[in-house]
Amino acid sequence: MHRVRVDFEPAYLLSQRPYRETSQLVEAFTLNHGRVGLVARGVRGPKARQRGVLRPFAPLLLSWISVGDLGTLTGAERSGMPLPLSGERIFFGWYLNELLLRLLQRHIPHEALYAVYENTLAQLPTHNENAEAALRIFEKRLLSELGYAPPLVSEFDATRRYRFDSESDAFVPAHDDDPRAFAAHDLTALRDENLNSREALRAARRLLRSALARQLNGRELETPKLLRAMRRGGFGEVGSNGIPPATRFDAQINELASPYAGSEISDESAS
Amino acid sequence: MAMPMPASRYSPRLTQLIEALRQLPGVGPKSAQRMAFHLLERNRDGARRIAESLIGALDGIQRCATCRMYCEDGRCNYCTPARAVSGQLCVVEGPADLLAIETGAGFRGRYFVLLGRLSPLDGFGPEELGLSSLQQQLAEGWITEVIIATNPTIEGEATAYYLAEMSKAAGVKVSRIAHGVPMGGELEYVDGGTLTHALSGRRLV
Repeated sequence: MHRVRVDFEPAYLLSQRPYRETSQLVEAFTLNHGRVGLVARGVRGPKARQRGVLRPFAPLLLSWISVGDLGTLTGAERSGMPLPLSGERIFFGWYLNELLLRLLQRHIPHEALYAVYENTLAQLPTHNENAEAALRIFEKRLLSELGYAPPLVSEFDATRRYRFDSESDAFVPAHDDDPRAFAAHDLTALRDENLNSREALRAARRLLRSALARQLNGRELETPKLLRAMRRGGFGEVGSNGIPPATRFDAQINELASPYAGSEISDESAS
Repeated sequence: MAMPMPASRYSPRLTQLIEALRQLPGVGPKSAQRMAFHLLERNRDGARRIAESLIGALDGIQRCATCRMYCEDGRCNYCTPARAVSGQLCVVEGPADLLAIETGAGFRGRYFVLLGRLSPLDGFGPEELGLSSLQQQLAEGWITEVIIATNPTIEGEATAYYLAEMSKAAGVKVSRIAHGVPMGGELEYVDGGTLTHALSGRRLV
């Protein structure tokens, strides 16, 4: 295997896990090398220089050397201010990271997606609708990058409703009372990335959730699950296994309604 | 021809001792050998003390069911009724954090040790942090203030938010320890993140 040396690569951390006594295993999303796994030696010690530097949601410049799949971090510095994410918005940020961790292969560059990720993060601290719309547009662009963009190419008749037909991979006209159908203007709004109404946001979430679930092979994402449990205020009646009953019930409902349970991150009942 | 198995360099008991010492953090084969020889040659009494106290600790130390800190013989030093008088419950990430606050800050209320922090991507959720037990304590009614002392990391921040929501839902006042410039430190050498926190958390004097 050949040795690769990368210097001052723009990157964001997706996750950090303790490794041995003072090291960390980090996953980073980089501009030119896509997702990479790196060992950061000695960064957890009391005198470590990079203690405050290595963190998610902050633009970094990383240097590393890799021989195999996993690299060794040789340098890290901050290239800008960390995003002021607090409270619930941290969960939004984690959601983006979880999507990238689950759906991107290591070492495949996604330059365009990197820019989208950066822009989306910048939108997260803003007001509710804006942050939510940014999440939806990120999901859509991520799917496009992976080659699974929702087929929003055709011209939609504004008076009709459409449903997704997986066999032809297209939106086809549906009956007016079909619960799975989408209004034409909501589909156009998502196509034009112009999600400025509650209805358009809700439709976009429903559509993208099932499209993402197809890519995730039905595996549930952890961040939305946690956020949902918190928003439902399921703290009160925690069951014997620690899962609030509300969540369990909700998961069942989701399972009944769609095979793609639980990939939502936003919740209209929250506002 | 099959390679012959490398014979151990040590006698069986010595091998066992060296392997056992390697369980300690930061101890590799070389240090383990040095420790073993030291104990056998120069400090056989000390070795016996280590052996006995290890057995004693394993038999006598458990986790307190209430605060999740270590306790002996089922009696927890940190969960006494006297400590409940203040009505304050300090939530920390680990046992070392509890001791730091107890010895360094002289806090004399009660504690709750999470033994981790919220990190959904690593599978650390409310269950792993024992939050259902904390929930029950919030419902007991003696707590008037929850003091959140999680670390100033992203995970610590999210954990604090979760705990705050939980405490508010239970109608209990919540506060969070301040983050800022260390005592005796010089502003010039403090990193930007800490300074930002220090500035945004400034106080009227």
